[in-house]
Amino acid sequence: MAPTFTRTDVESDQVVDALVADDFVLEGPVPSHRLVLETFDGDLAAAGLRLEQQVVAGHTTLVLTSRAGGPPASLDTEVRPAWPQDLPPGPFRARLESVTNGRALLPTLALSSSLRTLTRVDARDKPVVSIEVHDDLRVEGEPAPSPWLAEVQGRTGHANAAEAAAAALARLGLDGSDDDVVALVALDVGVSLEGHDTSPTVPLDADEDAVVAFRRVLRHLADVIDATIPGTLADHDIEFLHDLRVAVRRTRSVLTESKGVLPADVRATNRDFFRWLGQVTGPPRELGVYLVGWEDYTAPVTDATPAALDHVRKELEARRRAAHRDLAKALRSPATRDGLAAWRAWLAEADEPDGRHTVGPIVVDRIERAQATVLRAGRAIGPDSPAERLHDLRKDAKRLRYDLECFGSLFPAKPWRGFVDQLKALQDNLGEHQDAEVHLAYLRDLAQDLHHRANVDTDTLLAMGRLTHHIDRRRRRERQAFMERWASYDTKGNARTLDSLLGSVD
Amino acid sequence: MRALATYSVKGGVGKTTTAVNLAFEAGRAGVRVLVWDLDPQGAATYLLRGRPKLRGGSRRLVGTSGELEPHIRATDLAGVDLVPADLSLRHLDLHLDKAKRPSHRLRELLEPVADGYDLLFLDCPPSISLASESVIATVDGLLVPVIPAPLASRTLAQVARLLRDQAEPPSLLPILSMVDRRRSLHRELVDELTADWPQLLPTAVPAAAVVERMGVERAPVGLLAPRSVAAHAYRSLWADVASTLWSA
Repeated sequence: MAPTFTRTDVESDQVVDALVADDFVLEGPVPSHRLVLETFDGDLAAAGLRLEQQVVAGHTTLVLTSRAGGPPASLDTEVRPAWPQDLPPGPFRARLESVTNGRALLPTLALSSSLRTLTRVDARDKPVVSIEVHDDLRVEGEPAPSPWLAEVQGRTGHANAAEAAAAALARLGLDGSDDDVVALVALDVGVSLEGHDTSPTVPLDADEDAVVAFRRVLRHLADVIDATIPGTLADHDIEFLHDLRVAVRRTRSVLTESKGVLPADVRATNRDFFRWLGQVTGPPRELGVYLVGWEDYTAPVTDATPAALDHVRKELEARRRAAHRDLAKALRSPATRDGLAAWRAWLAEADEPDGRHTVGPIVVDRIERAQATVLRAGRAIGPDSPAERLHDLRKDAKRLRYDLECFGSLFPAKPWRGFVDQLKALQDNLGEHQDAEVHLAYLRDLAQDLHHRANVDTDTLLAMGRLTHHIDRRRRRERQAFMERWASYDTKGNARTLDSLLGSVD
Repeated sequence: MRALATYSVKGGVGKTTTAVNLAFEAGRAGVRVLVWDLDPQGAATYLLRGRPKLRGGSRRLVGTSGELEPHIRATDLAGVDLVPADLSLRHLDLHLDKAKRPSHRLRELLEPVADGYDLLFLDCPPSISLASESVIATVDGLLVPVIPAPLASRTLAQVARLLRDQAEPPSLLPILSMVDRRRSLHRELVDELTADWPQLLPTAVPAAAVVERMGVERAPVGLLAPRSVAAHAYRSLWADVASTLWSA
């Protein structure tokens, strides 16, 4: 990272004059605008990347820098991508696609300044290092805490020159930082360049008071809900709604498991509220999943009649838009606003340990019960059991998974991960099966609806028939795979792993 | 990292100008490029305003404990770095010969830096040698500039024969270079080459004074005269090359 220097009681002009006197060549000032683009989860930062749209002296580029080394990739384009696919094919786009996991690129930090560049050249007139002095620094148009910053821009193969430039700035009495301008300003204004943490796991101590621990878990989930609602309303990408739904379901699950720990009236009121909130998020999510996977979903049937399913897709898109409008209305309604405000107000009250329980034994008890329920339900399922049984098992498995994840910090990481992975493999099978069930029902309903419309041709209905057949095959395949998947979950080894996990909590 | 070499058994056909101009266009397109100048004459180093100095010479570079990373230098072009050449490269064959697996040595040297780049250009001297074999074993494609001249097809055939001996040969990507469409002989030979060599990239680079000016200004055509016919040709040639590298 490029080191940065400043000092509040020194004018940037003094620094620039001193550097010019030290044979640095001055260029500028020119207007500079930088916009950091990142996914909600911080996928780029996690991969060691940073994407910026830079407009310097009217010239616009997208710049992708990597901690792994190599020069910054610089793409001449006016496009501000919301998705990697908005960019032309090539390595720049591919590098973004490989890490963004289907999430949109969102503006994270907008930084503007008046930029002067001071360059040191060698005896052959070759630039070896630059110092960029940013004056009149603004974030989102508002003055930044540091009025000016000087950043050393080293060049590959000229590390000594960069060190000498940093030393020159230090000799001027400036305060140095290892962070570059963007990182430093982000830190100053409290913007995270690492994205949001939607993981439910918070630090817990098995011996701490259960009331305090449960409230900490719920507070963290409330943060996730708050953070995902704006993106859900803006409909940036489908994962905002997914993260919101999961945080709502986890909240409900933790409230359920808090029987005997948290006040009964708080539990009852808020379980009802979050059940309702979960329900209103359902329809747009189901339709969204359908559409995001549309290409894969329809691939086996579109080669013969590629355009025949266009009607279906457009109808699904229209329904998803309508469902999203309903969701937005619900999220903006007094019911949501007041429900979340009351929930927040309760969570904001001072934690008061009641001394009745410590969290470790409570969580162990809940997980044992959840696992017993899963085993009972799973063992009762045979080859001819109705689909509802699998759906019920799926819900039981979710409860167990949420318990394990929300209180995950109580357990040793490695065996915990191993057990959760086993559970996840079972859930994947149950999820695929349930998705196919839902999609089949939805397609039949849609076919009936379209059949009554004069503008839908026979090819479309035939293609829907083929699609239904294909999805039904997938459903049956998942159904057949269940017994095997269950057998690998319901093993003595897995039971021992869970016992030892739970036993590790004193 | 994908790798290309600008290569020909003939000199003066536009290898280095092709490498430098394509590196510039690739850099503008968001591709991280490493140009490795393997020609002891150091023309690419000169055009990219690099210092013609390999610390320790080619012996140290390709020797057992040699590393590429300390030799990499930034250029003035966005996204383009350079491994410069100096006269010590005239002994490259000799030093490669001492390596355990001479034909794999360049690839071994590139491995530690490969994550930092999307594309490598090896600018090669006009010869058939051990170094050429190592280059051929390293790259995905061989960009072979040909001037429309009576022996052009023969030159291409020589390179094609060279590739035929390889277990996993790189793609042969011939480029029409220094084409003067005012000359009837050039027009005829372009037609002949196009018919004989289906691998020929669609864009022909014209003979242009601005390409010669590169040697004076030490900058790619796209910077010197961005609206010139030659700059347009290199942009178009880059599109041809990019589509062969990243068509999937």
